[in-house]
Amino acid sequence: MSAQHAIELRALVRGYGRRAVLKGLDLELSPGKVVALFGVNGAGKTTLLRLLATRLRPSDGKALVFGHDVVRDGHEVRKRIATLAVFGGAYATLTAREHLHLDAALRERAVGNADALLERVGLTDAKDALVRTYSSGMRKRLGLARLLAADARLWLLDEPHAALDHDGQDLLDELVRGARERGVTVLMATHERQRSRALSDASLLLDDGRLRRLEPEAAP
Amino acid sequence: MNDLLAVLWIARKDLLHETRSKATTVATLFFSAVTLVVLAFAIGQDEQLLRGAATGALWVAIAFAGVISAAQSYQADLEDGAFDHLLTTPVPRAAVYLGKLLANWLFMLVLSLLMLPVTFVLYGAGFPGAWPWLLATVALGTLGFALIAVFYAGLTANLRARESLLPVLMFPIVVPILLASVRASGALVGVGDLELAQGWLRLLVAFDLVYAVLCTAIYHFVVEE
Repeated sequence: MSAQHAIELRALVRGYGRRAVLKGLDLELSPGKVVALFGVNGAGKTTLLRLLATRLRPSDGKALVFGHDVVRDGHEVRKRIATLAVFGGAYATLTAREHLHLDAALRERAVGNADALLERVGLTDAKDALVRTYSSGMRKRLGLARLLAADARLWLLDEPHAALDHDGQDLLDELVRGARERGVTVLMATHERQRSRALSDASLLLDDGRLRRLEPEAAP
Repeated sequence: MNDLLAVLWIARKDLLHETRSKATTVATLFFSAVTLVVLAFAIGQDEQLLRGAATGALWVAIAFAGVISAAQSYQADLEDGAFDHLLTTPVPRAAVYLGKLLANWLFMLVLSLLMLPVTFVLYGAGFPGAWPWLLATVALGTLGFALIAVFYAGLTANLRARESLLPVLMFPIVVPILLASVRASGALVGVGDLELAQGWLRLLVAFDLVYAVLCTAIYHFVVEE
């Protein structure tokens, strides 16, 4: 039954104009797994994440998140996911604390202890500064705080290690492990072979528009 | 889900952005002032002609400033994938549209209210006795303009030629709003014909309602790729 899978893809196709990027993907992913998604630049990793995040519509086929169709039940899908964009996805003219309050309001959650969350990701000193003063790594750390605050069942991470310093990457790995312990499913598009191999339960390769399962040690 | 709260938070975000960056404020204020001055200068010394052109000039300035404001309304959203992130939260697309609309409308309303006295002074038009009706005209006219502007700005936000496409796409749609606004305010300021103005205002209300329902209902097509 579809609801048993965190992610289910059935002959999923997506193209841009005449160029087909995803050429009929099939996948069933159990909840609570951490999965690394590899592929060369332009392979379609971000396209797949955006499809699952309801930001893109499939050209053909189906994508289900916890049994909910990303096109027909987009709202239900969005209740269950949290995303981390390559560049953090933050507004330059808001502060870190304001982002957490905005997210909490939009997700209808209590904001909780925003200061503790920001301390966790190392942004205590910058919590009231506008994001436009942040480095790219700090923006990514804010993205991590927002990810934690979302309390979602599926994390969709696009190149999560990019822009983070060594400590930041360690922190990210720690947060992903913690998420897995809480039963959160994590799908991360990444080029970080070493770290992702150590972190993930399974690895997928997007190659020529098709998905292949890889053993972690065989990841490219 | 408290959609109204989401609308208010999204509007707050956009207004906070504007108060902190001031990018649109500076551009629109400057552009509106220049438009009003140049048009007054072109019309010349004829006081009757100036008075007759006052409301037309006002709405030309509002329209041009509105296009600048609309083009900027998604600028902050497009940086670093912030809008993408916003659209992955469980907020109805309609609430996103209405939030952005509210911010854009409030901005245009304040801008128009600042331009009103400047127009009256520059064009020597007397402030009408039925001024609440003039304020209603400005509120409804700017609302109609913002309804179209925010919708089409969203439609062109991801396009490379968005700056040039936006006015081309939205002006044909926004013309009825502008005509009704000019006629209603002209009737109030010029001849003081409240009954005539009310007729145009009813039309303006009808336009606003139709555009509000239509744009809110189909906005999800605008933001989903």
